[in-house]
Amino acid sequence: MNYSVAYSTERKVMSAVNELSVKLGSQVPKMVLFFASPVYDAIEISQAMKEAFPNAKTVGCTTSGEIVSGAMLNQSLVAMAFGQNAVEDSCIEVIQDLHNPAATDKALTHFEEYYHTKMLNLDRSRFFGMVLIDGLSGAEEKVMERLSDKSDIVFIGGSAGDDLQFRQTFVYSDGKAYSKAALLILIKSGRPFDVIKTQSFCSTGKKLVATRVDEATRSVIEFNRQPARKAYASAVGISESEAANSFMSHPLGLMVGDEPYVRSPQQFNNDTLVFYCNVPLGMELELLASTHIVEDTENAIKNKVAELGNISAIINFNCILRTLELRQTGESEHYGRLFSDIPTIGFSTYGEQYIGHINQTATMLVFT
Amino acid sequence: MAGKIHMMIEKIVRERAKGDPIIESTTKTKLILKGFDPNKFSATSADDLQLIVKLKQVASDLGVSL
Repeated sequence: MNYSVAYSTERKVMSAVNELSVKLGSQVPKMVLFFASPVYDAIEISQAMKEAFPNAKTVGCTTSGEIVSGAMLNQSLVAMAFGQNAVEDSCIEVIQDLHNPAATDKALTHFEEYYHTKMLNLDRSRFFGMVLIDGLSGAEEKVMERLSDKSDIVFIGGSAGDDLQFRQTFVYSDGKAYSKAALLILIKSGRPFDVIKTQSFCSTGKKLVATRVDEATRSVIEFNRQPARKAYASAVGISESEAANSFMSHPLGLMVGDEPYVRSPQQFNNDTLVFYCNVPLGMELELLASTHIVEDTENAIKNKVAELGNISAIINFNCILRTLELRQTGESEHYGRLFSDIPTIGFSTYGEQYIGHINQTATMLVFT
Repeated sequence: MAGKIHMMIEKIVRERAKGDPIIESTTKTKLILKGFDPNKFSATSADDLQLIVKLKQVASDLGVSL
């Protein structure tokens, strides 16, 4: 098997890892990717996973809910084992100084040394990068922009979560646990791969231009030269006092053609609108309206299957806001079932990465 | 004067993509994420000095000499 998945809902680290190890079978994997609820002690789980798979590279992060073929889970451990033919080679870099672009540059230099190839010369049909990054750092844009500047291969991933506690997240690499850090994994794939980016919104055509911002705090002070609260409420067509209730159904989108790169409002700070990702000065956004997550995701997967012929595995970085909406509408099971027939793992993220940092989206890495 | 920003964007996309249509598309997306939507600048767009300075930095970050 090129890709095997397993999960455990055992609450003790050793029990969970043992169950996972048994389910993943006797084949020696080349790499094991795991997403673990923060109910598991960070240092223990990382060590236990490395001990269970000593001949594989073990990488992962904490979550705010997990996804496995056929189900959305909570307080569980999910893993995907990559067989010898699934991954030709991989190189892992841990970035601990997230706000310093030089730290990302250093990681990229190590990649170039490892593969003896300049980042810009990597074959984008063979190489992809996975990004697992602290979802409380506020540094995702900086890291993703640097990766996009310096390379043309796909970097995809998610921001590690902590079950909505907003205290501390971890990324895991080869037996160690890192907080306030990012994991970059540059993989030379043994199989063809592609990306699904799906979000359940359409544009309303109403434009909001950020005319006064505080990028350091991901805040927009004014849209269209009006206080952000007033401009947002006016665009939605509700009172300013009710505006915060519309964040989930009416985020904003940076439009790339018809495709929104979602920017989700988090809260009002007086009349300032604080986002889950950065909105630079002068950026023109459009007010979005929600559509149906399950239907849209089902269509996205079907379209990709039709395009590629088949899909052998999926890694799903699914925004926690999507997960919360699915819980509210009672559709979590339905969403999980979309992945019943395809070996899948994923987690509910504090942000999604693809070309840049985005919100309320599912970014999925798919393998044929 | 007009059209300089349009010309700079075209050069960034051309030099980065080197004829690869997929990289051309992702480079345009990267530019949009950085605040420069190629579709919003034409040969008649005014030469806004502030934007030109910013775009020069974007080109440098992308490894393109203008």
